[in-house]
Amino acid sequence: MPWNDNANPGPWGSPGDDNDRRDTPPKRPQGGGPRGPQRPGGPDLNQSFEQLQRRFGRFFGGPGGGLRPGAIAAVAGVAFGLWALSGIYVVQPQEEAVVTTFGAYTRNEAPGLRYHLPFPIERVVKVPVTSLQRVDIGGAGESDVPQESLMLTGDENIVDIDFSVTWRVSDADQFVFRLRDPEASVKAVAESAMREVVGRMPLDAVFGQRGQVQAQTAELMQRTLDQWGAGVRIVEVQIRNANPPQQALAAFRDVSSAEQDQASAVNEARTYANRVVNEARGDAARIIQSAQGYREQSVREALGDAARFNSIYTEYRRAPGVTRDRLYIETMQRVLARSNKVIVDGDGASAPIILPPDIFRPRSQAAPPAASAPEPEVDVRPRARAAQ
Amino acid sequence: MIRSRFTLYVVLAVAALVLLSQTLFVVDQREQAIVVRFGEPVRVVNAPGTQGAGLNAKAPFLENVIKFDRRNIALESQQEEILTSDRQRLVVDAFVRYRISDPLSFYRTLRDERTAEDRIERLVNSSLRQVLGSATQQDIIAGRRGQLMQLTRRDVAQRSQASRFGIEVIDVRIRRADFPQANEEYVYRRMQTDRQQEAARIRAVGEQQKRELMAAADREVTITLAQAQELGETTRGEGDAQRTRILAQAFGKDPSFAAFYRSMQAYEASLGQGDTTMVLSPDSAFFRYFEQGPSGGRR
Repeated sequence: MPWNDNANPGPWGSPGDDNDRRDTPPKRPQGGGPRGPQRPGGPDLNQSFEQLQRRFGRFFGGPGGGLRPGAIAAVAGVAFGLWALSGIYVVQPQEEAVVTTFGAYTRNEAPGLRYHLPFPIERVVKVPVTSLQRVDIGGAGESDVPQESLMLTGDENIVDIDFSVTWRVSDADQFVFRLRDPEASVKAVAESAMREVVGRMPLDAVFGQRGQVQAQTAELMQRTLDQWGAGVRIVEVQIRNANPPQQALAAFRDVSSAEQDQASAVNEARTYANRVVNEARGDAARIIQSAQGYREQSVREALGDAARFNSIYTEYRRAPGVTRDRLYIETMQRVLARSNKVIVDGDGASAPIILPPDIFRPRSQAAPPAASAPEPEVDVRPRARAAQ
Repeated sequence: MIRSRFTLYVVLAVAALVLLSQTLFVVDQREQAIVVRFGEPVRVVNAPGTQGAGLNAKAPFLENVIKFDRRNIALESQQEEILTSDRQRLVVDAFVRYRISDPLSFYRTLRDERTAEDRIERLVNSSLRQVLGSATQQDIIAGRRGQLMQLTRRDVAQRSQASRFGIEVIDVRIRRADFPQANEEYVYRRMQTDRQQEAARIRAVGEQQKRELMAAADREVTITLAQAQELGETTRGEGDAQRTRILAQAFGKDPSFAAFYRSMQAYEASLGQGDTTMVLSPDSAFFRYFEQGPSGGRR
């Protein structure tokens, strides 16, 4: 191995070793042989230990010699000093320390660098007092513990509640000395209290008044723990999940979808009402408008007719007979021009005259264009009325 | 010789240590102890309500020390199926908090904690049976849980005192009081049907509201249209009235001519449409000249 060729490698390598490593990095694992940097134990340590022994041996009276009293005193002194120093300890800011002297409670210590008489005289138990502890009941996260979370409500339904209790130590020495297993006690009390509170309420109230359930549980827990002198303060009870049991969940969900159905039925009805009522208002407006139109039309037409009659009448007064005949003949001309006519002289006939039936058939609409082309004056008004 | 004197010191020191360790004993704040001389308890150290934790002394070799917990101890009872006074089955799971208050009695009666747990558990179970057995299911689940727990505690305390257990029963709490597995299924079914009924009711209410709203809308439609009809007909009537008045005024000047004039208009409107076949006699007024020549009958 090229490594061993290096001049005087120290126990953890040498400067040359460094170069070597830099130049040929892949060789490092090879170099980790019996004297490599990865094996700090070995001959070198042994060597230093022997050195130490030799030095101490000289101090204690040389190799093979008896022990010197001064040496014993010095060793005892150092040992005592070390023992005395072992009483130094640090109380972290979130902690409080409880000191016992031969097991008997002596004092509490606040955070900082502290000293206690060393073991076995005094002992220290550090308790986290400001940091919050949390216990999950009914399963934490994904895991579910149904025997913890399923409970009976006041109306004999079953509800699945997962909750957490946040608590802290309020009195360090009580916490240490009063209860045998404070953490487990908190959990047991939490379960018992929650069940008692939920047992007093109907199911709907459990879902609807979570805050109240939480507050009552916290209060009941606090009361019980205080009664035991547990030195625990309940900070918060929080319901993480309050559900109907799995078996009835679908039915519960159906109730909420029924509420949605109800809302949508109402919405549908409103939609219908809006449409129909507004349409009816439109129709009403149409009826009224058309009636107003009719009134206006009637009045205007009547005024027109009257004016026309008045005009004709004025002229008629000047030559009544002529005008009367003329009007009659002109009208008959227009009427007869557009009619089928059969003229029968009944005076000389002795037997009933039989007419062929097709005479009574109406003339086709495509009758002589000349007949319909000139719009006769008198014709205007009745046409308009018929079209109304 | 220095070496043998040193050995002597060591031996003496060891002997002193042994003696010391036999004489002194530590009682932790969390513990209490009884000192037993030849199997007979003679005194108590640091029992609840007394001081005495810390370093204590006893007669070496003759006496020895038995320690007990001084704290509030939890004991979970087994799940018990109990029959309530209204013949319902409930699975009850309780726990007891107790403290060894009289270690002498405790030691004499129960000897150690394991035996104690066994006995106390049996006692609690029988108390629970008795107390809860005389209550209804509704009381246990809802109404009087706290009260029943108090009763059980008192009963357990009394009986443990009578049996000289030397313990103080601090609390008995019912942790769970549930229906047995088989009954749970019924509860689930009932909850399910209960909810189904509720869902059906909500849907029915929705349908009801829908119909009410639609009916109200229909009513409004009908009324709106009827009002419009009323107003419309009134308006038309006004129109007709005015028309009648206007025409009557005009025609009234010469009723006879008006009748003639209006008839002419009517003939033309009704007969002049080309769909009429007229059978005419040549001696009608129109054919006067056609029939009788240029003189027109005025011969």
